[in-house]
Amino acid sequence: MVTESTIGGKVLKSRNTKRRPRMEDFSHTFKLFVKNKIAFVGFAIVLIYFIITVLDYADPYWLGVANINTVASWAPHLTAAVPTPPTLARGWWYWFGETQFQAPIFPVMLAALKTDITYSLIVVLTGLVIGIVLGTLSGYFGKLYDELLMRITDIFFSVPTLVMAIAVTTVLGYSLQNVMIALIIIWWPIYARLTRGVSLSIKSNKYIEASTAAGSSGLRNVFVHVLPNVLSVVFVQFSLDLGTVVQLLAALDFIGFNKANPLLPELGSMLTWGTTYLVGGIWWPIVVPGIFLLIFTVAVNLMGDGLRDVLDPKLRR
Amino acid sequence: MLLLIPTILGLTIFMFILIDSVPKGILASPYINPHSSVPVKIQIQNALKILGLNYPPPIAYLFYLDRLVHGDLGLMSMPGYPNSVSAAILDALPNTIQLTIFASIVSIAIAIPLGTYIGARPNSVADQAGRIFTLTGYAIPAFWLALLLQLGLGKGTISGNPFGFFPISGSFTASLIPYPPPSWFVGGYTEPTHLVIFDSLIHGDFPLFVDSLEHIVLPTLTLTYVLLAGILRFIRAGMVDASNQEYVKTARSKGVPEKQVIKKHIRKNAMIPAVTVMGLLIAGLLGGVVLTETVFQYPGMGYLTTQGILYYQVWLVMGGALVFGLILVLTNLIVDVVYAMTDPRIRY
Repeated sequence: MVTESTIGGKVLKSRNTKRRPRMEDFSHTFKLFVKNKIAFVGFAIVLIYFIITVLDYADPYWLGVANINTVASWAPHLTAAVPTPPTLARGWWYWFGETQFQAPIFPVMLAALKTDITYSLIVVLTGLVIGIVLGTLSGYFGKLYDELLMRITDIFFSVPTLVMAIAVTTVLGYSLQNVMIALIIIWWPIYARLTRGVSLSIKSNKYIEASTAAGSSGLRNVFVHVLPNVLSVVFVQFSLDLGTVVQLLAALDFIGFNKANPLLPELGSMLTWGTTYLVGGIWWPIVVPGIFLLIFTVAVNLMGDGLRDVLDPKLRR
Repeated sequence: MLLLIPTILGLTIFMFILIDSVPKGILASPYINPHSSVPVKIQIQNALKILGLNYPPPIAYLFYLDRLVHGDLGLMSMPGYPNSVSAAILDALPNTIQLTIFASIVSIAIAIPLGTYIGARPNSVADQAGRIFTLTGYAIPAFWLALLLQLGLGKGTISGNPFGFFPISGSFTASLIPYPPPSWFVGGYTEPTHLVIFDSLIHGDFPLFVDSLEHIVLPTLTLTYVLLAGILRFIRAGMVDASNQEYVKTARSKGVPEKQVIKKHIRKNAMIPAVTVMGLLIAGLLGGVVLTETVFQYPGMGYLTTQGILYYQVWLVMGGALVFGLILVLTNLIVDVVYAMTDPRIRY
């Protein structure tokens, strides 16, 4: 039995090393990614946001109250008084001042990340799974099914995303959960298009022909050969979309779809609360949550651009 | 061209599915006259019969399509607006188109020279500044930017702000309209174009003209920033791409002046990829219009649609979405034509 072979002086071990090339590839990718400093900073910021989200779930009391799902925990009286400006004198809660109901902005904003990031992750991941399955199959098997799927995705691309989300949420009912469902409904076509294109180009490769000749079924080809190649492209899109969806979620909430639970900490709601005092010239309830939203989306974009450079076989090495 | 028809039909089918899943009573509610002596139940039945919604969905869809073809998008009941959705949308549409065209003109006028400058100097300080600019423009939520502009440049927000001289809501100051209003001021809109900027000029009302110009500055700035970031990014990429081509080397080596090389050889080719993504940018622009109009309460289609959400007017929201879709489909068609014109290699 051959356990070693030599190609060009380099010893390749074949026993027990089936996954080795992929792991080596992964660590190489990671090294390239770390080298790209800007992208790595983006990644680090995104990681911090995720850690805050996990903390919100693991130990809600770290924000100082027992229930972080309502503003009433921080501001039990929900008074309409004018919010106080940012100050260092009253402890870390009040570093960024107060918003409507005299609730402290900082802890409410940290609690809001839980809602925003969880919902966006659900939207993007669900859309991604549906899109990949439909898109890959459609690209590989083609014909009538492909034509039908592409016409359906055309419909979703023919209306601006925000407007489509408004239409679907209006029908589903005014709540953040329904905004999430609406975004899932309109998000999968992006991935379906993307993966369809990739799987179409992979399909014409010789190794697919070879594996078919060796007796592999169409479905096996899709899952073993096409899907792994689709994933790297999808991963870049996924990281970029995360920022877009967080923005959309906040925008839809801002427009007024969060009627069911207006006291829920959420970045869009926080901006809505801030607009109450716009004419009074009170800027911090608007500026601070927006900056946190902006930092997240910029970081996600930096990370996505870096990932694209690293994962694109044309640009790497 | 013909490929548009299945898309538009598919869009109407999708809209119909959405409408059909709303409870029938809500769909019929704008068709009910509360002051009528006829019982409400019977009025609902009559309304459903007129709308064809008591038939099975495929037939009800044909009723819906028939009404769309005749320009009937349904009814709505919102204070201060006409009862017909089509009429309300037609009233508001000019403002939206004006806003998008203003923003497009301003951003293209800035993007082409700026993109040329940046693209000709990759990795310079100007390029890095441009990169930060496009990145934030890409990542900034349009509605937050609008709020920031209201705070920073808006009249009456932050007291003592030296830059605060732009009005923050509406398309003109209502107190400038005398009482009784002039004959060309009908139902909250100016005749004949509904665009206060042009109508005030037509009728020689100069103070109103200046006032309406001041009102459009902040919404245009918001949209310009969002659009400019997208265009700039692609022009820069196109410039860098084109300047690595062989024909550019040839032009330089045969002694063509650098200005000519950048203008004629690089920029012309850099515009092609920028035009292809125009459709995407316009889709983003239309989404941005909805948010911008909502924040500035600018009486366009976006503001109308979000008002429809607050008052739960299903026909209005669906009609607005459909019209936005049609606008996008048509602009994409125009983009394709422009693309064919800019790139002589493409012939349909």
